Amino acid sequence: MNDVIAEIRKDYIYGLAKRSERADGRAFDEYRPIQVEVGFIDKAEGSARVRIGNTQVLVGVKLQPGEPFADSPETGVIITNVELVPLASPSFEPGPPNEKAIELARVVDRGVRESGAIDLSQLTLPDGKVWLIFIDVHVLDYDGNLIDASALGALAALINAKMPSERYGYGPDAALPIKEYPIAVTAVDLDGEIMLDPSLDEETIASSRLTVISGLQGTLAGMQKSGTGTLSVDEIVRVVKLAGSKAMQIRDDLFGGSTNG
Amino acid sequence: MRKKEKVDKTIVVPGDLLSDDAAKAAEGTYTENGKVYSLIYGLADEREKIRVIPLSGKYLPTIGDVVIGMVSDISFSNWKVNINSPYEALMHISEYPRRIESSEMAKIMRVGDLAIFKVIDVDQSMKIELAPREGQLRVLRSGRVVDVSYTKVPRVIGRAGSMVSLLKDKLDVNIFVGKNGRIWINGKAADEELAVKAIKRIEQEAHTSGLTDRITKFLEEEKHGIYEER
Amino acid sequence: MEFMKNGKRIDDRLPNELRPVKFEVGVLERADGSCYVEHGRNKVIAAVYGPRAVHPRHLQEANRAIIRYRYNMASFSVEERKRPGPDRRSIEISKVSREAIDPVIIKEFYPRSTIDIFVEILQADAGTRSAGINAASVALADAGVPMRGLISSCAVGKVDDTVVLDLVKEEDNYGQADMPIAMDVRTGEVTLLQMDGHLTLEEFEQALELAKTGCARIAEMQREALIQKYRGEENE
Repeated sequence: MNDVIAEIRKDYIYGLAKRSERADGRAFDEYRPIQVEVGFIDKAEGSARVRIGNTQVLVGVKLQPGEPFADSPETGVIITNVELVPLASPSFEPGPPNEKAIELARVVDRGVRESGAIDLSQLTLPDGKVWLIFIDVHVLDYDGNLIDASALGALAALINAKMPSERYGYGPDAALPIKEYPIAVTAVDLDGEIMLDPSLDEETIASSRLTVISGLQGTLAGMQKSGTGTLSVDEIVRVVKLAGSKAMQIRDDLFGGSTNG
Repeated sequence: MRKKEKVDKTIVVPGDLLSDDAAKAAEGTYTENGKVYSLIYGLADEREKIRVIPLSGKYLPTIGDVVIGMVSDISFSNWKVNINSPYEALMHISEYPRRIESSEMAKIMRVGDLAIFKVIDVDQSMKIELAPREGQLRVLRSGRVVDVSYTKVPRVIGRAGSMVSLLKDKLDVNIFVGKNGRIWINGKAADEELAVKAIKRIEQEAHTSGLTDRITKFLEEEKHGIYEER
Repeated sequence: MEFMKNGKRIDDRLPNELRPVKFEVGVLERADGSCYVEHGRNKVIAAVYGPRAVHPRHLQEANRAIIRYRYNMASFSVEERKRPGPDRRSIEISKVSREAIDPVIIKEFYPRSTIDIFVEILQADAGTRSAGINAASVALADAGVPMRGLISSCAVGKVDDTVVLDLVKEEDNYGQADMPIAMDVRTGEVTLLQMDGHLTLEEFEQALELAKTGCARIAEMQREALIQKYRGEENE
């Protein structure tokens, strides 16, 4: 529908890239302004509204007691969902999550789960129940790079969340046991030039995209290559290193002191 | 902090009462029981008649409009062209100045190409037909294109072309403003960039007065690399 | 539960008082028009795309635009997490909301096209369909859609035998009647009316009068928000 980009616009963007420039004047490793507002949905147990440039996502964390999985009875459960609601873009259609929404949800989920951001063993409740943690990403405005915005929103909402123990008679409300701070950094490849935090046009034109999720010590917790282009091993390693240092920067800027201990 | 710019017209919303004299109704208004009301969110402009100038909305072509379109698809005998309207426009193969085969169409204009067209027909059901602007088909292969709301096109052009002349005067560029809000700029790369910035600013401040002076100042400062302390 | 005490309601309001309402216009980059509303603890965002081409083509109408309205609640918008996707309630609300706004839109200007209205409820506290309609009207104006007027909506109800304006969640859940209404305030024409509970004819007439004042106040705020957006743009 709105997917065709003018050839002269593509030429312009590629031309800039060859001169190490981008259409909005950013450096290749520069992010658009990032804004994180927590507690936006005060009725939810945790929430965060994230803006990266004009891209805007709202993440809500809801907690309720429930049944654990049969094979891990002492472990809390995380359920992540992404809604690419039609209000966020002329190309989003109403309906159940399509492959893009599902991929996005699973990547965000992987980042939270594999990094051990939440100590799931501390989520057990009396009578064999555990806390079920629902992470719901509601995309409001799609202007490129939903992954980083969604992952950031999920992390911020989880940190903001309180387990509603009082409501269920389990004692006082408490914060979730947060053990890690995974940050996702996404890069795109524009004819051999690698740039971070793709704008809408860059993301649409790029042949491939690589997301790297890393934790406090720089340990890799998740990766996802997307798109039909190919990447060389060198390019991948370059992205991983770039993403690692960028993630540290973003984590410090946004969560600063709270990641200590 | 920039000072508040003056707006010289009243902002109205749909349903606002504009006049008790139904004879004065013009574009952007409707009449009911002898009174005139606003149909849209816009600026009320009262002279002999009262009209409301839209602040936003989609471009609807009229016969004779010259627009910049982008080819979105090619069928057997038509180029399908996106002209930033709710309606897709078509240029029939026979409108091309010389006789060609269907298989040659993509060589002349492929998907993603931009060109300057004239609207030669719009029917009741909004079927839109295009032809090359005059004689030769002008496909835009270099330069940059920027989209603004069609409602701001008069401001980008300026009274008697004063604004677009100002841009061409101060910058080393050629500018073509399509009626549909699509603007083509072609010239020296740095000047193209300034033109784009100026046009975006004109779009943002279209409703204010003193704009021409501010744009002149902006271009002079940028060209000479002088930055005022704000 | 006692809903009225010394003439005041559980949130300290008088029977004819609206909760605090805030409108923000043009809050989204991609949509053609948008509006964010906070109404009490409700947080609602509406976006308009269109007029634009209709897909699938067979839905289009030869001589006018079609209007589509989708009311959707975010999973985290309610106390007990809601499964994503439309349920029967959302589908009904989408329909009556569409029918509330459709009458004022000049559809004939845009044959063979669609005007799509999307309302997302980000946080719910009773009265979401009204907040949605209020946001949608403003979003339509923001998008430049031609309309005879703005549609304003509010709900009235009855608690402890008193007719009250703008029910809060507890009043909605445990009260005696709930009546959402929408109208073009200038003409007084009603475009949405639903009721459940029990009202005598007298109480109904009282409720209608109360609703008119509520909608009138909303209309003022909608208008003010649209004018402010513009004044705000001047003060860069």
